[in-house]
Amino acid sequence: MNVEELVREALREQADEQTPLRAGFVDRVLVVRRRRRNRALVGVATATAAAVAVAVGVPLLDSGKHDESPAGISQQGGDGAHPDQSPPRDLIGAGDTVLAAYYTAKTHYTSGGKGTSVRTYWLLDQKTGTYKKDSRWSFVAVAPGLKTAAVLERNLPAGRIGLLDLATGEVERWIPVEHGVGGLAFSRDGNRLVATTYNENPDRRDEEQPTVGGKRKLVSVYRDAIRSGFYVLDVASGQGSWSPVARDRDILGRKDFAFSQAGDRVYSQIIGSQDGMQQFYDIKGKKAAAPANERYLRSDVGARLSPNGRLAALGLTKEVGGSPGKSYSSIRDPLTNKEITKVRGGHLLAWVDDKRLIAWERVTRLDQTYRPQLVLVTIGSDRVVPLSGVSEQGDNTGRLEWEPVFARR
Amino acid sequence: MDAAELESFREFVDNRSSALLKTAVLLCGGDRHAGEDLLQSALVKAAGKWQRIDEPEAYVRRILYRQQISRWRLKWRAREVTVAEPPEAGAGALDAAAASDLRVVMREALSRLTARQRTVLVLRYFEDLPEADVARLLGCSVGTVRSTTHRSLARLRTLAPELAALGPPDTVRQPARDFSPVEVRP
Repeated sequence: MNVEELVREALREQADEQTPLRAGFVDRVLVVRRRRRNRALVGVATATAAAVAVAVGVPLLDSGKHDESPAGISQQGGDGAHPDQSPPRDLIGAGDTVLAAYYTAKTHYTSGGKGTSVRTYWLLDQKTGTYKKDSRWSFVAVAPGLKTAAVLERNLPAGRIGLLDLATGEVERWIPVEHGVGGLAFSRDGNRLVATTYNENPDRRDEEQPTVGGKRKLVSVYRDAIRSGFYVLDVASGQGSWSPVARDRDILGRKDFAFSQAGDRVYSQIIGSQDGMQQFYDIKGKKAAAPANERYLRSDVGARLSPNGRLAALGLTKEVGGSPGKSYSSIRDPLTNKEITKVRGGHLLAWVDDKRLIAWERVTRLDQTYRPQLVLVTIGSDRVVPLSGVSEQGDNTGRLEWEPVFARR
Repeated sequence: MDAAELESFREFVDNRSSALLKTAVLLCGGDRHAGEDLLQSALVKAAGKWQRIDEPEAYVRRILYRQQISRWRLKWRAREVTVAEPPEAGAGALDAAAASDLRVVMREALSRLTARQRTVLVLRYFEDLPEADVARLLGCSVGTVRSTTHRSLARLRTLAPELAALGPPDTVRQPARDFSPVEVRP
């Protein structure tokens, strides 16, 4: 190696270490430009005023209102971006999609390596625009509109479902249930609730024997299926019915049901050979075919169908090396499964509108540990707008340090 | 700037700012904050002429290179300038260091070059531009690019004696005359 080669290597190494610019850099450039231009205009106006001896009182100088805010925070159109916050403290959202809550999960050990993964939720206080810890609940589902959340108390499976008024933080009404409930999800219109029932706490874990040189991983403690079925409840009246679901020997832990787009079926994740795909059931609990527009969706890609129903958000499809690496997920035709385009983001979480989504996207190189932050991505653009700080790896449940819960305003 | 131009400018910054930032930081000797300032300043200038720019990236890069050098010129006038002679090859050679250690040493040495010297090295060895292109970008002759490259590499050897253990440069030819200034810091 000679000096020239070393110069080349040293420069490339230093270049590769540069992390991307923080969100709002382009806004900062435009603010500076506007300010300089206004100064120039004021100069001209002052000179003219002096020449004709007329006072010019036009407030041309930038008021500073558009100055770049700390950490590139953008509040335009109600959007909230806080790339310096992990977990988030202040409202995160884009368009009508809001981070309504987030939770952390920690394993509380009992004995013999057994334990229970326990969630702690932070709920958005809409008055202050901040997230506040609410330790009362083991599970929270937020209804569209952000007025109500359905909650379960600490001991699972729970014997009643609470309807929490998100403005007051008080439970408005309790819906008692005969079969213990472990998970909740609202229908798209927010009028109905699907409550998954379990015979045991679905979050109990056992520590797997460690692999050579590997970490000890937590697996379900159960050796038999514990999911029994689901309730479909009318939120306004609390009325509804329970449907048993045939036991699936592969489902040993939490696998909650959610409504299909039209609300006439429910689905849950398949475990096993088609891991990540979904099995649909009719409202009576019998296995059913997938709706035509949801046949190719994955249960582990939360964004699912775009608001207009024409685009399906699917999984990671391409990664490009660099510092950081870039991830791309597939956007497909929901009816044919044909890829329409790729969009930035490693894990598409929620649609903002028919062009934009919120996603997890890595901040590390491909050969480094995966560490993601919430970002706003746009179809047809390589632009990634950071919305949150970086969520580190959580405990050995395979989850991140904090997990988001999105809802539409 | 109308709405379409604004969108196009935003798109350009979103797509290219990471790559441009790398160059800007290297031009500033690894100083991230100075690199961001340099890039911001170049983009502000570009935004003012956005509708008239055919090749935005080339334009912004040209501003980056020239701006960095002119910034240095302003400071340089106030400094004491002497001419340093490179040491004999091999003198002061140390035991062979690990490649990564040498890269760290090299970075430190690069940060102590003058802006003009560093700019020429970044263009030649990071952007991999031929001498003629570097000359065109910096508005100087090919001979000046050659001599500055030679002087810069020699200066690196002076700043970091560990580099003397490396082989001699392959391509640098000694210019007949060299008037480029070399900054010596106390």
